[in-house]
Amino acid sequence: MKFLVSKDITPTPLLRQLMIAVTAALLLYLLLDVVLHGYLIGFSPQAAAQTLYGNEEAFVEPILFESLLLQVHIDLFMALVSLLILVAIYLRMTQKEKVRTGVLHSLFLAALGAPLLLVAAYFGGSFWLYGWVGAFFVWHLLALFVGTVALKRLFAL
Amino acid sequence: MKRYPRYRIPIGYMLLFAFFIVASGIWLFLLPQGLSETGSLTATLQQLGQKPVLKSWQQFVEIATPHLFAMGALIFIVAHFLLFSTRVPRYFSMRLTLWLYIAALADIFAYALIIAGIVTSGWIKLAALAIFALLFLILLGAVAISLSQ
Repeated sequence: MKFLVSKDITPTPLLRQLMIAVTAALLLYLLLDVVLHGYLIGFSPQAAAQTLYGNEEAFVEPILFESLLLQVHIDLFMALVSLLILVAIYLRMTQKEKVRTGVLHSLFLAALGAPLLLVAAYFGGSFWLYGWVGAFFVWHLLALFVGTVALKRLFAL
Repeated sequence: MKRYPRYRIPIGYMLLFAFFIVASGIWLFLLPQGLSETGSLTATLQQLGQKPVLKSWQQFVEIATPHLFAMGALIFIVAHFLLFSTRVPRYFSMRLTLWLYIAALADIFAYALIIAGIVTSGWIKLAALAIFALLFLILLGAVAISLSQ
């Protein structure tokens, strides 16, 4: 077996195909991750507040902190791995002068901030839930944008 | 890593993510050991050292299985950036990553020794966790130093 490393992926259709497939899979993951968190925590600050603090009138028990922290722990790992792959492909497919560093900073900051804001909301009150909802949607939308741009450029090759 | 300036952004944020993953993992481990009841870190560490919480083999496997994958992958992801470093010597990277993998395995399997009754004290788990956390912080520092060049 002979390993060839090239910066130009045009003559390596297998690599191009693999990058298209993994980007498409990650875009699907991001969409389903939004749905999953809608079920687990809730989309609106009111629904998330009910999950975190419970609701006596509706007989809803508050979430155990251990369960919440486990979700945050998993979310951090999944966000890191998915974003590293997605951003690496995006950077690979983008010319140096066209890289939007502001988008990348916002994407990583929102992805890092979302789980931390959820923990802050557990201790600090429902005010932080607005931050969680905002950061959660911002990082998913930016990741979908970055993935779509990468996919578009991969297809254009 | 000066040849790859565009990759500094994801690598820099990766260090922050990795730090918070380990921090939340340690917090998650200490909660059922008494931290959720006492709220005191010192009391929890003493309780863990003297009388760790009893766990079943099923609980051990449920925790160990995802961590064997996730810790192994996370160390690989972070440490492979040292390949591009011109500041951190290669022999240091090799020794650090080798000991990091050994510490990760010791950390994961330390509780098995307690469940099997080979050791009754929780200090072995505490020591393995502390060594892993320390080595991981050194790894994060080494990648951060490589980024700053």
